[in-house]
Amino acid sequence: MVDTSGMSGHQIHGAGLEHVAEGRRKAGRLLMRAASALLIIVLLIHVLNLTGVIGFGFENWRPILFAYVLWSVALCVGQVFTRGELGYRALFVLPAVLFTVAMVIFPTLFGLYVGLTDWNLSSFDGRKFNGLDNFRTMFQDAFYWNALRNMVIFVLAVLIEYGIAFMLALLLSAQIRARKFFRVVFLLPFMLSPVAVSWMIGKSLLEFRFGPAATFARFLGWESPAFFGAPWIARISITVMDAWIFIPFVMILLLAGLQALPREVLEAAKVDGANAWQSFWRITFPLMLPVSLTAIILRIIFKLKLADIVINVTAGGPGGATDTVTSFIFREYRDRSNVGYGSLLAMFYLVLIIIVLTLLLSFARRRVERVT
Amino acid sequence: MTAQTANDTLSAARGTDMRRVRLQLLSVRVFIYSALIVWAFVALFPIYWTVTTSFKTAVDVTQGHLIPWVDFIPSWKGWRSLGLSPDTIFQTSTVRIEFLKRFANSTIVSVGASALAIVIGSLAAYGLSRFPYKFGPLRNKDISFFFVSQLILPPVVLALPFLVLYKGLALLDTRIGLTLLYTLMVLPIVIWIMRDQFMKIPIELEEAAMVDGATVWVAFLRIVMPLALPGMVAAFILALVLAWNEYFFAALLTSTNATTLPVMVASQTGSQGINWWSMAALSAASIAPLVLVGLFLERFIIQGLMTGAVK
Amino acid sequence: MRVSDYNRIVAMQQTRRDVLKGAAGAASVAALGASGALAGFAGSAAAQESLRVELLRIPGIGVGSPTDADWQKVGEMTLAPTMANVEEGEFQGVELTFLGLNNQNLHNFLFRGFLKPWEAYTGARIKWIDLAQADYNPRLQQAIATETVDFDIIEMGAPFEGDVTGKGLASEMPEWVMEQIDMDDYVDYLKAPVGTWDGKTYRISVDGDAHNFNYRTDVFADEGLAAAWAEEGGAGEWGVPRTWQQVQAATKFLDGKKLNGFDLHGYLDAPKPWGGFGFYFLASRATAYAKHPDDPAWLFDLDMTPRINNPAWVRAIQDIIDALPHQPADQLNADPGTTAFQQFLAGTGSMLAWWGDVGSNARTSDGSVIGDVVGFDILPGSDDVYNASTGQWDTLASGPNYAPNMAYIGWGIYVMARVDSDPVKHKAAWSAAAHLGGKDLSLWASAYPSGFQPYRNSHFNIDEWTAGGYDGDFIGNYLASQTNSYNHPNAAIEPRIPGIFQYYSVAEDELARIFAGEFGAQDGADRIAAAWDRITDQIGRERQVALYRASLGL
Repeated sequence: MVDTSGMSGHQIHGAGLEHVAEGRRKAGRLLMRAASALLIIVLLIHVLNLTGVIGFGFENWRPILFAYVLWSVALCVGQVFTRGELGYRALFVLPAVLFTVAMVIFPTLFGLYVGLTDWNLSSFDGRKFNGLDNFRTMFQDAFYWNALRNMVIFVLAVLIEYGIAFMLALLLSAQIRARKFFRVVFLLPFMLSPVAVSWMIGKSLLEFRFGPAATFARFLGWESPAFFGAPWIARISITVMDAWIFIPFVMILLLAGLQALPREVLEAAKVDGANAWQSFWRITFPLMLPVSLTAIILRIIFKLKLADIVINVTAGGPGGATDTVTSFIFREYRDRSNVGYGSLLAMFYLVLIIIVLTLLLSFARRRVERVT
Repeated sequence: MTAQTANDTLSAARGTDMRRVRLQLLSVRVFIYSALIVWAFVALFPIYWTVTTSFKTAVDVTQGHLIPWVDFIPSWKGWRSLGLSPDTIFQTSTVRIEFLKRFANSTIVSVGASALAIVIGSLAAYGLSRFPYKFGPLRNKDISFFFVSQLILPPVVLALPFLVLYKGLALLDTRIGLTLLYTLMVLPIVIWIMRDQFMKIPIELEEAAMVDGATVWVAFLRIVMPLALPGMVAAFILALVLAWNEYFFAALLTSTNATTLPVMVASQTGSQGINWWSMAALSAASIAPLVLVGLFLERFIIQGLMTGAVK
Repeated sequence: MRVSDYNRIVAMQQTRRDVLKGAAGAASVAALGASGALAGFAGSAAAQESLRVELLRIPGIGVGSPTDADWQKVGEMTLAPTMANVEEGEFQGVELTFLGLNNQNLHNFLFRGFLKPWEAYTGARIKWIDLAQADYNPRLQQAIATETVDFDIIEMGAPFEGDVTGKGLASEMPEWVMEQIDMDDYVDYLKAPVGTWDGKTYRISVDGDAHNFNYRTDVFADEGLAAAWAEEGGAGEWGVPRTWQQVQAATKFLDGKKLNGFDLHGYLDAPKPWGGFGFYFLASRATAYAKHPDDPAWLFDLDMTPRINNPAWVRAIQDIIDALPHQPADQLNADPGTTAFQQFLAGTGSMLAWWGDVGSNARTSDGSVIGDVVGFDILPGSDDVYNASTGQWDTLASGPNYAPNMAYIGWGIYVMARVDSDPVKHKAAWSAAAHLGGKDLSLWASAYPSGFQPYRNSHFNIDEWTAGGYDGDFIGNYLASQTNSYNHPNAAIEPRIPGIFQYYSVAEDELARIFAGEFGAQDGADRIAAAWDRITDQIGRERQVALYRASLGL
């Protein structure tokens, strides 16, 4: 199942590839086979019972869940028995893989299937398989493509957020007083729930008439500070609110990266006469690239799911300028109960994101490797 | 030019240099502190606004009053509506009972999910950072990507399949069901953060231990874990916040027994406008435990993610 | 009554607090009962009267918002009808699940209090599922579609009847319940056919809903503005607009004017989508144009052909496009919640269509901007009305055409069909529902913050309100706007077809683009019509047509 024979660069080498006794190996295989058989039998009984072939069985699918857990344990033990040290290594990653697969396999497959059906929850006939019809509808759906275009803009804003977060991380890693205070304070926005942010900030703080932000904007000379009145201003306001929540998240990851930088290198740069700016661009920034990559990828993924704030504050307006893919799917799926089509939109979005992220990651990794 | 004059000019230059450097240092200080203060204001003001709003009557909200006792008289309005103000705390209050029940559920579910994710996520991250795996055609970076790709699908779309799945497994409206779901949700983040962590820990430490005869697991538990423990705390906090604030799944998959706080926050608005004060009070009450956790564990976050600094 | 009304009324009372008058009123009512012509009934009638007056004194007008203890007391005092039909402890061991809203900690939280004495008496126990309003529709739809209906009683808006009763999921109301709750007392439009589904009764109404017209009395009585109006050649006298044509004219006139130093605005439109609910506000502008007295239909033809792109609706959309430039600068991002609670009540704008809520919880203090200068009426009419059968605009002999918009029809309590197989559970569920829909209990709910409005003829007895401590003039004006809407012969009643909110939601999406200027009224309306046809086809056209006709009582 999990093969740990290939060896590479900075990973742990050859130790522990000793021979495993034949008896242990046999016992391990037996255990795994028995557990598999049990799982299959339990599954078979339930399926036969559900289809009415046999007259006995279980009330629900829970026994299958227990059988799966048992099988997982047996698999883990079996790996150790049959493959010794390699089995022990597999043991690290197996629980997470088995857990994730168990949790997502049904929802993903079911979601995929639903995506290929015509299923309006209000419909009397229930699901109807309709092949690629949803797919065709999608290509003519102006709302969806508009939302995708908006997403490109929103995602590009991640770079600015990253810049700000980096600056904050640099500030916090400088020699400052009250460091603990600033660190905790800078982390606070991440803790407020998006629903609360939409209302307490979007609909209260930024309110046109009484919001302190609007009052302040008037003070600065903006006569009618409608933060959500025109397309670009609305996009910026939404981005700012979302950034306010997530900059701390990026900041913490970067700050950690900064703290971990080897001091000698920075000091060596100083001795060489580099000024702060040069040492940042030549040393700090390149060394931070791997951490930055993780931070940006995670942030982009969160950004791609941007919805709560948009739904509550602008409902996608004005005229669709702030509509996001997730908020559009939200309307299609929840408000209009158009579950089949909504699922397909989400699946297509997933595929699109995976392709883009894969390209981005491989491109970025190559650059990172070259620089470091 | 004589050597003497050359020396003079040099020291003079050094003098101005010193002054310039000092001036530069000072201006850098000023810049750093003003930037810190500006951002602290940006981070704090909305939270200040939220907390003070829980003490405002409607008219104080709609007229944008800012400073208690100066331009508005604080009242317990928001807290009274939750049954948590001094004059209502000892009376029966359905809202308070509901709030406390949800608070307890939120705590159990988010702590449980984060802890579970830290355990299996750290193990996986360690494995991925140390050993080359082959899982069919998938290599390490593919496995990492498999985990992170679980984050991408909007929960709106996943909620209905989970409704069907959980109905089959009789996990609807159970805390355990919600815990498992949130574990799945935060696992990728834990794995990615912890993978970066483990990569920073020099491999020689374990190799030395293994030369002494320790197995990988002993080396992991004895040598690597203590170094990475603060990092786990950091990942735990990020996971905790995300699980604590989760809304969509909770709204669909819970009914009576496993209900959580975010749904109650959202309940403060509807077709009859909004109760600013009670939404503010609920938001403040539900951010408070996170702030406390942040205060106590903050040093772990920073130390945690800087384990690489152990040299 | 909604919280905001209550608080505002209370605030107005405080300015002319006259407890004595209230007490005297109560005495006179009781005396009237005792000396009534029907001597035989005098005793019980007096008891009844005094119970209702006593109810209205819990906790008392001006004492502050009712608490849990008050809800329980109300539940206890109104338990008599239950006692008549149910033995003590009859439902021992029965457990019921109740799904409802937690809307600003009202709705389900009140029901808990009301039902506590009922639980104690009958021995049944109730489990509560509280939903946020935004989750209500999806949760209900997804539960139905995946067969995870895990509740026995549901608090539901009448527009969802298509989805629930249309699929046979609700339990039909037993005869004894109809008697217990005195259904004849409902206002006209909540009786059959709107009160029934396909000829059968399922709903226990606990609320009535209609949009009424709220206006600023100070603006429309201001002499300076009247002079300016005459000077600028405005038609007729300056006064409260009674037709949409006048509303438009007043809105254009008021733009840029000031009153007491505040910028004035006219009508407030809500162009931003609001989870489907925003569509009601276009409908309120359209019904006077689109609802012809000779035609029960106004939103769809009887074969479900959308009327949204007919001249009447397009005219209403165009009205909004024309009016928006004269409204506040941020209007494009205003949803109905904004227009009502952040604009109108805070002194911005002088006309608004809304549910009965628009009184102010914000305006109770000295900082009040609009104070008690709000007047109520039924929605404005129109000089001409579109006749869908001839394609002509008719001018009626009777004057302007009025057509109040019965938006949302109101909340009701329903029992799910899954209790039908168990007679004890069936009776228990219906008994609980009947208790919540009781005649006396509902009087209290319509007078105090509950989330519900008056919906019975007996709620419009102004003497009871004044006896309870209300000011007669104000409550009279308020109740008249409600009762005149409910009982209007040409009321526009929402079709209760499955998925009605899908139609609203998709319309909102297109309307948002129209208002942002992406395309014109007719073009956009055509798009809505096309989207509606797609939804009808997807849900199943034949069934939709049949259910639509059923909901109209045809």
